[in-house]
Amino acid sequence: MSWSTMLLTMGGGMLRTCAIFFLTLLFSMPLGMIVMLLRRSRIPVVQWIMKIYIAVMRGTPLMLQLLAWYFGPYYLFGWSIRGYRFTAIIIGFSMNYAAYFAEIYRAGIEAIPDGQYEAADVLGYSKAQTFFKIILPQVIKTILPAVTNEVITLVKDTSLAFALAYNEMFALAKQIAASQTSFTPYIVAGVFYFIANYVVAFVMERIEKAFDYYR
Amino acid sequence: MVLEMKGIQKSFADLSVLKDISLQVDSGEVVSIIGPSGSGKSTLLRCATFLERIDAGEIRYLGEPAATTSAQGAAEYVSAGQMRKMKQHFGLVFQQFNLFPHYSVLKNIMDAPVHVQKRPKEEVRAEAEELLKKMDLSHRADAYPCQLSGGQQQRVAIARALAMKPAILFFDEPTSALDPELTGEVLKVIRQLAEEKMTMVVVTHEMPFARAVSNRVIFMDGGVIVEQGDPEQVFGSPSQERTRQFLRNYQQ
Amino acid sequence: MKKILCLVLALAMVLSLSACGGSAASSAAEAPASEAASEAAASAETAAEPEAAAPKYVFLDEDLGVESYAIGFRQGDEELAETVSGAVQALVLNGTYDAIGANYPDIKDYLCLTADGIDASSLPAEGSGDSSFTFKHGFDLDYPPYSYLQDDGSVGGFDVELCKAVCEYLGWGYEAVPFNWDAKDLELNAGSCDCIWSGFTKEGREDMYTWGITYSNNTQGILVAADSGITTLADLSGKIVGVQIDTSAAEMLEDSRADLAATFAELKTYETYTVAYNDLKAGAIDAIAIDMTAGGFLVANDS
Repeated sequence: MSWSTMLLTMGGGMLRTCAIFFLTLLFSMPLGMIVMLLRRSRIPVVQWIMKIYIAVMRGTPLMLQLLAWYFGPYYLFGWSIRGYRFTAIIIGFSMNYAAYFAEIYRAGIEAIPDGQYEAADVLGYSKAQTFFKIILPQVIKTILPAVTNEVITLVKDTSLAFALAYNEMFALAKQIAASQTSFTPYIVAGVFYFIANYVVAFVMERIEKAFDYYR
Repeated sequence: MVLEMKGIQKSFADLSVLKDISLQVDSGEVVSIIGPSGSGKSTLLRCATFLERIDAGEIRYLGEPAATTSAQGAAEYVSAGQMRKMKQHFGLVFQQFNLFPHYSVLKNIMDAPVHVQKRPKEEVRAEAEELLKKMDLSHRADAYPCQLSGGQQQRVAIARALAMKPAILFFDEPTSALDPELTGEVLKVIRQLAEEKMTMVVVTHEMPFARAVSNRVIFMDGGVIVEQGDPEQVFGSPSQERTRQFLRNYQQ
Repeated sequence: MKKILCLVLALAMVLSLSACGGSAASSAAEAPASEAASEAAASAETAAEPEAAAPKYVFLDEDLGVESYAIGFRQGDEELAETVSGAVQALVLNGTYDAIGANYPDIKDYLCLTADGIDASSLPAEGSGDSSFTFKHGFDLDYPPYSYLQDDGSVGGFDVELCKAVCEYLGWGYEAVPFNWDAKDLELNAGSCDCIWSGFTKEGREDMYTWGITYSNNTQGILVAADSGITTLADLSGKIVGVQIDTSAAEMLEDSRADLAATFAELKTYETYTVAYNDLKAGAIDAIAIDMTAGGFLVANDS
């Protein structure tokens, strides 16, 4: 296989890897917010369900969850799963990462002193104003380092999509390595992950800097 | 009468913190509340500002009821919307300042008047700049709270409360978190407000300040008002043994 | 400054890689030449092999056992299994089977079907299939030379070509379903694919599927360095042997040949044979238990 064919083939995989990455972030970050709010709900049943959800998502391997999301509808309900592969991957990743993000958000929210809520309350801010204007911006600053870690993990976790036979970059690297009896595709994959994570770290550093104007 | 609290009772779990407290504050009055820690004075302030809910009693601002006690003896509050409106009548200055760290000094002061009271931004800005001048902080308008000293932060907090144009301003130990050399600048501002006839209730440990500034001093202990009256009378010739003991301890 | 340094580092890595790529491309170009050489050597059976052409890695004469590769269908899909098996036999008769085999020198010796004994009258006729039907071929893309990524990046291999030929013969549509080997049963039962056809060993799985025709035999052997001094299975005593997880070789060493495995210093399990082979080359292990076609492929494609 020529160098250009290999890069071209793996390039297609990189696009698919990026698709998983961005769609997962797009869905899991807001979903994590919802999970966190429900987790902090005053209704014990809701709180309890969210606790179990988070425990399951964090306590079982992501690969297993992906298999469950994809094959579950067929084995449980007999539904056809044709054309559902990519959707299942995005659902699986988003649900899993939402649980992690929810816990990060929760830690961030609990780190905000009560005085901030009280000051906002006395000044007459509504609940929504308090959350979005006063609490959230401070939470974001607090949780950025943890979010960066999680996002970097996601870059590497995308390779688990191969559990559902989705030809993302690492699956292709494995296949090319097998057919060419060569380690080169793994090195290319390594460089890709390195560069991708370098970009992530760079972007996150910029965002962190943007929040540096206060302590 | 700006504030009227009657028969306030409040307990946390089994601990009764406020036992039948009544307090009236007239317009232009400066009331200081003193007493040992755990006496309930901060809780009283938090009940007055709706940060804690009373178990029984009555709270009225400018004659309007915020909480009343039903025949069964349990406190009932007015609707959330009415409570929100009523919060416009008072301001609270916290011991820990509680400025919003992500907002500049000017935005800390302007944000609530603009977004809660929906007043025109330009008008609010002019007032905020006026308040900063009064607090001697005009040069720090664009600074962030973390760049200010404790005394400066507390003065911004006072300006933030005043920007809401409250009928009454509460202070919860406003100098307790400050280094001794910084308390003076904050007390100076409060004294200045007293001279302008701002209605204020100050929970404090600064006895000379309370004596000099207040129209009335309340001594609380064990969840009850032990003694209240003219500062000269309470500090000079307290009628209760507990007051005497407290003041003695304080002077040592 | 730190950023610039990192960028330079990343750039250096990319550049050094492109250099590697150049050699990888040239090694791929050399591969057919060496295959041709070994074929020539094989045809001149009695002639002394020239020193330079001698392979560096060889199979021991003793093997671990023979297995048959067949097409696995969902249990109960007898009719489909019979049609596909019939079409395969028809392709044997018309020469397509051998023609495809000729493209894969590593497999060609293991193709077990011949025209002898095939009753042409019982086979499905060309074009007799339902043209609206698409046959979904489930396979593993990590399994050369049966199913793997071709040099041009396309999906291919002996099984893929043969399955395509079957569909063409019957008039069906063909759909490639490259799946994750660990999830093959889930995929098959859920209907994502109609068969498992990917160098799929029948032994030990007889009752788990409805089996189609056995189209290839394979022998599990032991691959060692030619100069290792290991010549018999007994020599493996105290040695480190590598095997890929979930392969027939791995199963044999855990099951029917567990006695042999017990003499090893260690049986090392790998995610892929590629890694095992590199460990062998690096001298980290002494031998690899692998089927002869896959092992032959590794040796033949190694520059």
